[in-house]
Amino acid sequence: MRQPHGIQYAILGMVSRHPRGVHGYALKRQCERVLGHFWQLNFGEIYRVLDRLADAGQIEHVVVDSSSPRKLYRITERGQVSLDAFILEPPTDAPRPLRQELAVKLLFAGPERLPGLLHVVEDQRRAYLEQLHRLGVHRRRLLRAAPVDSFVTSLLIDGAELAARAELAWLDDVTQKLKAKFGASA
Amino acid sequence: MIEFRNVTKLFGSGETTVRAVDDLSFAIPPGAFWALMGPSGSGKSTVLHLIAGLTPPTGGSVLVEGRDVAKMSEAEAAALRRRRIGYILQTFNLMPFLTVGENVGMPLVLDGVNQREVDARVDEALGMVKISHRATHYPTHLSGGEQQRVAIARALIIRPAIVLADEPTGNLDRANGRTVMDLLQDVNEQLRVTVLLVTHDPVFAAYAQRILRFVDGRLEQDIPLPEKPPSNLSLVK
Repeated sequence: MRQPHGIQYAILGMVSRHPRGVHGYALKRQCERVLGHFWQLNFGEIYRVLDRLADAGQIEHVVVDSSSPRKLYRITERGQVSLDAFILEPPTDAPRPLRQELAVKLLFAGPERLPGLLHVVEDQRRAYLEQLHRLGVHRRRLLRAAPVDSFVTSLLIDGAELAARAELAWLDDVTQKLKAKFGASA
Repeated sequence: MIEFRNVTKLFGSGETTVRAVDDLSFAIPPGAFWALMGPSGSGKSTVLHLIAGLTPPTGGSVLVEGRDVAKMSEAEAAALRRRRIGYILQTFNLMPFLTVGENVGMPLVLDGVNQREVDARVDEALGMVKISHRATHYPTHLSGGEQQRVAIARALIIRPAIVLADEPTGNLDRANGRTVMDLLQDVNEQLRVTVLLVTHDPVFAAYAQRILRFVDGRLEQDIPLPEKPPSNLSLVK
């Protein structure tokens, strides 16, 4: 998980939308719908986060029907204070690391390795275009379904598209400069 | 079906010769949606010109619906462009002294279709791009996004087999660009029209089923994209 911090608040925020409490399963479905394309979430993880939030007193169990074994979760006042503070804090995401792996490969670029390296760049380009294709399909589905959370999801898709676009522009630049430096007739 | 067989296109002569298209071969099946990408001057637009018969190949042959475009008479080539191929450009190319409806109907008028049918098909085409309310307005009173939708209606009115779109989003902001792309995708999926898109924008290229990347007139990379489920957005009832 890249940002456990973000996940914790995502789940806390989801819980906060249900003042009368929400089941873990419903919560998982909602997390998947809103964040699933950007974070891989599994059931165990969500329950671990819920336990942690409960230990910290940020959510509590609600007893609706003592005969039902299912647990409902509800945000506490302490949780709400923590969520409100989080939303206004500057994000802790560091800028992404420079493309380390490709950069390392580029260190060993030379005329004899040019065809192989261009192939690596092509694979990267293909991967990003496939990602854009999937994002496009996802965006169209979203348009049709128009769920409550489509606003946030579409902002996330915008961000992912812009990132992929930048990456692809860089790959084109790399291709061009590799060829210029190590021979154009690869 | 569009087929390129060892197609070469040279511009100029002697030392200033430019190889716009260099020994290119591929076949586009009917109903496909392909995008052509690559740096400026890589030959993408020339590929579209060759398909439309706007310029003859220097070598090899271009086949559209089984027929060699270069071997057609002037009249046959003009008929192919007027009845089978819809062209959409970055600059819209609408006539400023004609209304939106008249612009859209123009290809049919030029083809001698009677006015009653022209009117009915103008209504239909404007409806497809959701711009019927602008029929009596002049293009200069429309936003860029609206003008491009009118240009798409003009391309669709002939009920083309092929739509060639050369940087159709190049003069539009992102939101309008997306609207245009969604329309092109509907045209492809619902009308089964072959769409060939030239674009610099990878986000829009990724709408296609396949991306061809050109560099210096040559096909540098061929990128098929995964199949996607059909759209439910209804363009045609």
